[in-house]
Amino acid sequence: MASSSRAHVLSLYRTMLRESKKFSSYNYRWLFVSFSRTYAIRRIRDAFKENKNVCNFQDIQTLLNRAEENLEIIQRQVTIGHLYSTQKLVIEHQEK
Amino acid sequence: MAARVLSRSACWALSGLRGFSAASRLLHPAAFSSCSAAPAPIRFPQVFSPFVQSCRHYGDLPPLTLESISERVLYVLKLYDKINPEKLTVQSHFMKDLGLDSLDQVEIIMAMEDEFGFEIPDADGEKLMTPQEIVDYIADKNDVYE
Repeated sequence: MASSSRAHVLSLYRTMLRESKKFSSYNYRWLFVSFSRTYAIRRIRDAFKENKNVCNFQDIQTLLNRAEENLEIIQRQVTIGHLYSTQKLVIEHQEK
Repeated sequence: MAARVLSRSACWALSGLRGFSAASRLLHPAAFSSCSAAPAPIRFPQVFSPFVQSCRHYGDLPPLTLESISERVLYVLKLYDKINPEKLTVQSHFMKDLGLDSLDQVEIIMAMEDEFGFEIPDADGEKLMTPQEIVDYIADKNDVYE
């Protein structure tokens, strides 16, 4: 893996994790599927760990493009979640 | 007489916790006389001593020291599931000694950001490879020198 690509992957990983920490609601729905707030964090972590040994340049490019698309989805969903926020659930109050 | 009844009821109210012994004392004439005296007003302790100095912290945390930083850093690292707490020392290298990869290192730096409440830039975060380096970096950023 080229060094520039490596730095790119790491910064993408960091950005995605940081963005998905901003989910405000306890769970949200996207494409009629319900997700928990921490789903994105878990999914990002698993996907990056799963593909960390990929060496083919083409595959890396495909994966990076997919990550960029998903980052956009996350950012959009976070913004929508902030726009249409609801009251906190009872379980959330107990958490904090 | 009305005042006496009032003071008696006050006595009852005040001695409510003591229960039967207080009730039997009320039947005694001697107890009557002590009760008819006005009950002492409740005094809250007020301190106006010149030796007591008020000290406000304004909701701030206690000041950081190098020991407290390194304690908190090691505590966060011990809670990270991929690190073996027995192998962890202040000097151990994340990749060489603990067998982590660069993705884990990114997560560790993010955990440090959460713990200490400030953002570590990517360029600086990549260089932090041992707990000691993290401690030094945080101490440097928070102006802790002792």
